[in-house]
Amino acid sequence: MSEPTPGPVTGAGSSPGATPVISPVTRIRDHASARPDAVALRDKHLGIWREWTWASYWEHVEAAGHAYLALGIAPGDRVAIHAENRPEWLIADMGAMAARAASVGVYPTNPAAEVGYLLADSGARVILVEDQEQLDKTLAVVEECPALAHIVYLEPRGIRGRYSHDKLMSWEEFLELGRRYREDRPQALGEVIAAQQSTDLATLIYTSGTTGPPKGAQLTLANVEFAIQILVTQGAFTDPPPGPKDLSLSYLPLAHVAERIFSTWFNAGAGTQVNFAESIETVPANLREIQPTILFGVPRIWEKQLAGIENRLSGASWLKRRVGRFWLKVADRLGHRLVETGGAPTVAARLTYAVGWVCYYRALKDRLGMRKVRYAASGAAPIAPDVLRFFMGIGVPMHEVYGMTENTAVATANRPGRVRLGTVGEVHPGTELRIDELTGEILTRHAGVFAGYWNKPDATRAALTEDGWLRTGDVGEWVEGTHLKITDRMKDIIITAGGKNISPSQIENELKASPYVREAIVLGDGRRYLSAMIGIELETVGEWAQRQRIGYSTYRDLTEKPEVVELVAGVVDEVNLRLAQVEQIKVFRLLPKELDHEDGELTATQKVKRSAIERSFHDLVDELYAGSAS
Amino acid sequence: MTTTIQTPRRSRRLPGRPAFFGSYEQEIALFNTRPKQIWVGVIILVAFGLPFLLTDPTLETLAIAFGFAIGALGLNIITGLAGQVSLGHAFFLGVGAYTAAALSGDPEGRTIGFGITNIAIWLPAAGLVAALTGVVIAPIATRLRGLYLAIVTLGLVFIGQHIFEEWSDLTGGAGVGREGARMEFFGLELTRTGEILSGDQKAYLTLLVLLLVFALAARNLARSRVGRSFAAVRDRDMAAEMMAINLPRTKTVAFAISSFYAGCSGALIYSLIGFFEPSSFNLLLSVQFIAMVLIGGAGTVSGTLMGALFISMLPTLTRQLPDYLTFISGSPTDIPNIFQLQEVLYGLLIVGFLLFEPRGLFGIWIRIRNYWKSWPFSY
Repeated sequence: MSEPTPGPVTGAGSSPGATPVISPVTRIRDHASARPDAVALRDKHLGIWREWTWASYWEHVEAAGHAYLALGIAPGDRVAIHAENRPEWLIADMGAMAARAASVGVYPTNPAAEVGYLLADSGARVILVEDQEQLDKTLAVVEECPALAHIVYLEPRGIRGRYSHDKLMSWEEFLELGRRYREDRPQALGEVIAAQQSTDLATLIYTSGTTGPPKGAQLTLANVEFAIQILVTQGAFTDPPPGPKDLSLSYLPLAHVAERIFSTWFNAGAGTQVNFAESIETVPANLREIQPTILFGVPRIWEKQLAGIENRLSGASWLKRRVGRFWLKVADRLGHRLVETGGAPTVAARLTYAVGWVCYYRALKDRLGMRKVRYAASGAAPIAPDVLRFFMGIGVPMHEVYGMTENTAVATANRPGRVRLGTVGEVHPGTELRIDELTGEILTRHAGVFAGYWNKPDATRAALTEDGWLRTGDVGEWVEGTHLKITDRMKDIIITAGGKNISPSQIENELKASPYVREAIVLGDGRRYLSAMIGIELETVGEWAQRQRIGYSTYRDLTEKPEVVELVAGVVDEVNLRLAQVEQIKVFRLLPKELDHEDGELTATQKVKRSAIERSFHDLVDELYAGSAS
Repeated sequence: MTTTIQTPRRSRRLPGRPAFFGSYEQEIALFNTRPKQIWVGVIILVAFGLPFLLTDPTLETLAIAFGFAIGALGLNIITGLAGQVSLGHAFFLGVGAYTAAALSGDPEGRTIGFGITNIAIWLPAAGLVAALTGVVIAPIATRLRGLYLAIVTLGLVFIGQHIFEEWSDLTGGAGVGREGARMEFFGLELTRTGEILSGDQKAYLTLLVLLLVFALAARNLARSRVGRSFAAVRDRDMAAEMMAINLPRTKTVAFAISSFYAGCSGALIYSLIGFFEPSSFNLLLSVQFIAMVLIGGAGTVSGTLMGALFISMLPTLTRQLPDYLTFISGSPTDIPNIFQLQEVLYGLLIVGFLLFEPRGLFGIWIRIRNYWKSWPFSY
């Protein structure tokens, strides 16, 4: 293990109060005065895209900010946002920041109990709910949240004229309140913004909590600005840095730090045009319409795209199938070449690609909505290198990046042209990162390291060392002295009965790279051998079964078909070939149901909660190790 | 900083993103995609270049085919778009043809004539008289649908034929006939050979321009409020009524527009052919138009044009047949002859297309287009 060369720590906002602090809000204000008529946001309304100019975006942020002031929100207060991605999310978020309040994003999939926990824990005073469904969740827990004084709803359908609650008001009423307040005191918000401190709490981002209840990570304005400096202005991800000509599609939950970076902060920092997908189901269609230039996805999204391509290809007509197989094989070769050269193509590769582009890749990327992508990234969870290589092969410049909420997602990234597959890339200049010699844990230190967990001093003490290093909880190692490779989450490492340390996530990702596998959970802690619980991908396996003329009724029925078990066994055997003896999966069982957030098996970000799975499927686990004396 | 409230507005176009629609106008534009615009432009250019490449007889056939295409567009509006099966198209064609012939006819001649030879007058007049006839008949027709409407419009053909045969002052009478309208535009003869262009070249160009006007109007109609209400009536009349579409009025309008097209078509076709007699406007003519619409692809303008050209060129093709198939005779007195063969072919083509390619020639084109559009997948 070699030590990286740590650069000087660049502190942001080191002299609070002296000069007005730069924040995303002031950046939006500057965009609005510099080019009021340029596009800031787009959303789809009744089937057509409409645009929000910087002037109208800022006007709405101002109105929302004044409305928060009118509702008596004081600096340091928290306001919650419980909606799908839409312009109002950003307006409410930035409006709160303008009023020096901190926003708390709530996942749209959060059930009422979790909403109650988040509201009570954060002490939010206002919540913005999207529609009747989300309003019902809040109303179910409103008694447990004494701090909650106002509920603002966006979609009046089913609410207006049916609900009466003294805390309830519509988004229009909310904005109207702000606009009236602005008429009376036009300078009010400006003064509050001018008084912003870099230590102000910008947002509380609740971590997904695969083990315990979610913890609210406090990010200050200094943290956010540092992240914008590193990731946006200095272009730590993209080369050249993002600009007003770049388009992005906002579709992952804004309550998560990754989407916040790529939507809100890229937009405020570099003026990129944010386009809101209608919903997660329409992402493929929206991608084709918008053809973004910057695209971020979590591994699940990329895996699904890949499975979709394989699936549609096998359903294509004979000629198309042949042509497709041929060019994908070429793409695979190109991908391997690119991996060897770090993502910078050779002349021969460029020529081959040019021919393939005319015949195949152009159309393929157009169908995927990635024709204009100049930078694609995967992050937030580990991904199988095969998936990344596939996209690199077809000409989507793919980069794996690494970061977490607690360091405002500033840690490492694969830089364009210097990609090392299987690693999460190089340390950003101006930040520090080291690997603990004893435990192998990754630690980071820079101005983006968070201000601690909300109301959880113990957890904060456990996460931060005395000299300001953040314990990421990830185990890693250096590759070629420059690139960081993540082995696994520290608490997930499996130690078999034989005493071998095994990283389950790598095996799981190898399995998940198959289009037929949606979830894989590798077990074996303290056991003699490894086993796996595998969840099949209903769409692809269902299609496969239809082609094989295997009838099935439900998901569970499908998982019990011997042919399907055999299909998955083939996948497992193939993966086993690439693994060392001790890492091989000896037995596996198929999960009888699709894992779900509502049932507590997945987090809001679709991460598997291992403990919950092992609890609810304990009979399966017992079966896996039946007859083995462990 | 302004404090005026700015609401989000419809989006400007995004370059290089054909699937992006920022306004409904863009989505329902006459030619809403770049390839469509380009291809229509290319086809029009080629069509205007043809008179200098082809021989005069071919041009004459094409000009008449264009005339038929205008009539087929009319039938497409009532049958393809509004879903009202009409077998009476031949009757409206006759009304138009006789109106035009009477207007431009010799005042001193054997039959009625007013000597107004300007096409700018007799063509609209032919259309309007036919449209008016359509409106008069519509009250009966709008009460019926499907098979019953077909029978009533069939009756129309027979009544029309009877009137045409008996009214010999206008039509010249059965077996005699009269001259078609003279094509002249403010002193410019459109069918007679001049110094620069031959008569057939001029006729071809005239008909091409008129066809373009009628086709664009039909395409524009299809996307308008009226056209969409036609489609609603076709797809489910009761549902259309629930959407506050006035059924009798919509059907009447459909009849009127369709008859206007038929009237103009009749006037033009027989002006080109030169001489015609009442028996021309028989059931076979109606069936021919039905064949054009069905083979081309009901409900689409480009399909109808393809079908009309195909059916109008069919006699030219079958006339070559006796050279290859010696048992088929070219003379109408022998059996089997090419005229019988033509009629059999119309029937076979209609049946064949309805069975195997219900969306017509247009459907074949759509399939080819979709194959490449969905590249590299199949869906």
